Amino acid sequence: MNSVLPLMAGIQLDWFSLPQQLVNGLVVGSIYALIALGYTMVYGVLRLINFAHGEVFMLGGYTALLTSYAMGYSPDALRKAFAEGRDVTSSPLNLVIMLLVAMAVCAIIGAIIEYFAYRPMRNQSRIAALITAIGVSLFLQYAGQLFLPSNPPPSVSQDVNPYQAVYTKVFSEAVIGEGGKVIRPAVEVTITQGRVIMLITVVVLMAVLTYLVMYTKTGRAMRAASHDFDSASLMGVNVNRVVTATFMLGSALAGAGAMMLTTFEGTTLQPFFGVLPGVKAFVAAVLGGIGNIPGAVLGGLVMGLAETLVTWLGYSQYKDAVAFVILILVLLVKPGGLLGSNKVEKV
Amino acid sequence: MSLGKILGKRALSILAAVGVCVLAQMVLTQSVDGFMLRLFFLGGLYVTLAVSLNLINGITGQFSIGHAGFYMVGAYAAGLSSNYFFPRQSLDMPAYLLVSVLIGSVAAAIAGLIVGLPSLRLKGDYLAVVTLGFGEIIRIITLNQEAWGGSYGYNLNHKHQSLALVFLLAIVCIAVCRNLLKSAHGLAFLAVREDEVAAQAMGINLTKTKVVAFVVGATFAGAAGALFAHDSGFINPDLFKMELSFLILTMVVLGGTGSITGSVLAAATLFLIPELLRIAKFEVSQGVLLGVLVAVGLMVYAIRLVERTFHGEKTQKSLLLLGAVVLPYVVMFGLGKLLETYTILGDKFYKANDLRWVILAIVLLVVMLIRPSGLFGHHEFSWDWLKSKMNRRAVEA
Repeated sequence: MNSVLPLMAGIQLDWFSLPQQLVNGLVVGSIYALIALGYTMVYGVLRLINFAHGEVFMLGGYTALLTSYAMGYSPDALRKAFAEGRDVTSSPLNLVIMLLVAMAVCAIIGAIIEYFAYRPMRNQSRIAALITAIGVSLFLQYAGQLFLPSNPPPSVSQDVNPYQAVYTKVFSEAVIGEGGKVIRPAVEVTITQGRVIMLITVVVLMAVLTYLVMYTKTGRAMRAASHDFDSASLMGVNVNRVVTATFMLGSALAGAGAMMLTTFEGTTLQPFFGVLPGVKAFVAAVLGGIGNIPGAVLGGLVMGLAETLVTWLGYSQYKDAVAFVILILVLLVKPGGLLGSNKVEKV
Repeated sequence: MSLGKILGKRALSILAAVGVCVLAQMVLTQSVDGFMLRLFFLGGLYVTLAVSLNLINGITGQFSIGHAGFYMVGAYAAGLSSNYFFPRQSLDMPAYLLVSVLIGSVAAAIAGLIVGLPSLRLKGDYLAVVTLGFGEIIRIITLNQEAWGGSYGYNLNHKHQSLALVFLLAIVCIAVCRNLLKSAHGLAFLAVREDEVAAQAMGINLTKTKVVAFVVGATFAGAAGALFAHDSGFINPDLFKMELSFLILTMVVLGGTGSITGSVLAAATLFLIPELLRIAKFEVSQGVLLGVLVAVGLMVYAIRLVERTFHGEKTQKSLLLLGAVVLPYVVMFGLGKLLETYTILGDKFYKANDLRWVILAIVLLVVMLIRPSGLFGHHEFSWDWLKSKMNRRAVEA
């Protein structure tokens, strides 16, 4: 029973797969949200679009990969282990270590980038700072191309990754008529264990972030700095420390996202891995109202859902454009983004 | 000066420009090989692109990072119309070139109008994202047009590399921007950049100014795109990715936002770096490369340190700066050589061609960190400026 939307004659909509697509969208969107948080926090404090954020994300993926290699899941070690018949199934501890190492390394990389590239630009024009960010991003991409392996074998490979296990929730059974003809396909949602872990981790990370920003001294300083940078520094807030903390927090979130995306979704790594998610997350941040933390999460989810829905409609080739179309439509109506406030300039 | 005289002067200078361009083409086609010709051609294109973006970004202060989009609109409009109106293969007269340049620039101008209109509501980074999005949307739509070749690209019936036209385009673009800046309209552009509210209070029509900037900038980019399409005879959406927009923006900022001279120089330099490295014949080992990378960082740090802390005599400062530039390289190159000889970092060598973009990124970062306002700042090259500089030097001596 495929129904046809009157506006889009000819497109056959498969309503029965919609729940599944929504779940997919949620997963993708949560990763976008995680990256978008980094963009929005840095923007909130420094008014700087940190174009290198996507590259920090990429480096997070590589860190997780190399960590798993170091723990004995490198292709060579795995081959040897299989030959000897040892059990090499990865344990949750491995995952936790990979996640923490990726987050820590990304935090450090973020702090280094801020110290060496952005701090000297702080009193310069914003466009100069933006170009520096583009420079850092280009440098990391192409230096990565020189020093990092392209398309390396996945970190915890399919053979030893128990997180590919599938949960299925059937909402209604398929109705099969005479001769095996499907009258109505089943409505069911399938989700891998990895994705469940991913969603839970994202929620936990966001809760931790909320706690850090809302209830700690550094968080309060961060909010003060993002409200008014100069006044905050006059009030005795150590703005340099706040900026470093912001970069570390945002980068750590990107690292976590990259680790989960590469490990659970099996996305192959390459030095330009961070570009597309980076741009989309940035768009998500602007969509939600850049500088606004709940806005970034909302924007990320909207972006992820929109992408999968476009795929569901049968326009998968326009998947990468829909982000921008939504963005432009929203900005035309609400120039400050979904949750952002549109400040009126006063003289 | 009477109107007639002015017009006469204008006509004369236009004729002179055309003459110089035709002459340049004649001389160059006789004297240099195809590779060099293409370098000149691309140089002209990039200068046009950078100067036209400078009008939007540097002079009017509207943050646009989608210039590759206008370039692409021009290229595709020109390519499609050229194949449609002139299907016959070998046409001797490059009349079709003029027609398609016209069509390309008109199409891009319309695109500029479409993008310029939302800029009335949006400011700063929000506008930047919308322009970026415009470029990407256009690219993805083109990517999915079967009739336009999709991702395989589009072949043009005619292929013609017109150096004279490219030079002329660059000259016209520079002249338009320069003359604009000397007129009341140009001052309006600058006023919008400095403070929109104040400009509006002074009676400047914000809407008109911004849209005009976008349309004029886009027109030149479109014309450049048309010439580019006819030069290579083949266009592909991948040629117009956002990296290209970033590259053009970088040229503008590196030259000094708002400075036409700066845009021209930065465009010429930045596009040459990767092109020359493409043919350069040197190899570096991983060890030496690592050493040089660290040396660049140290150099920037040392220069900034000298600039910040040393307030003594000029000659001493120059010496210190020289030391800050040279010393890190000497030390780190030696260290890199050691690494190359004694560790595994000597196993892998990189050709100059592989290093193109890394070197470009490093140049970009170094210039931004040492001279954040760009090479020229807001300044322009002019004979008066040169004269005053020379005079001052003479007085000092």
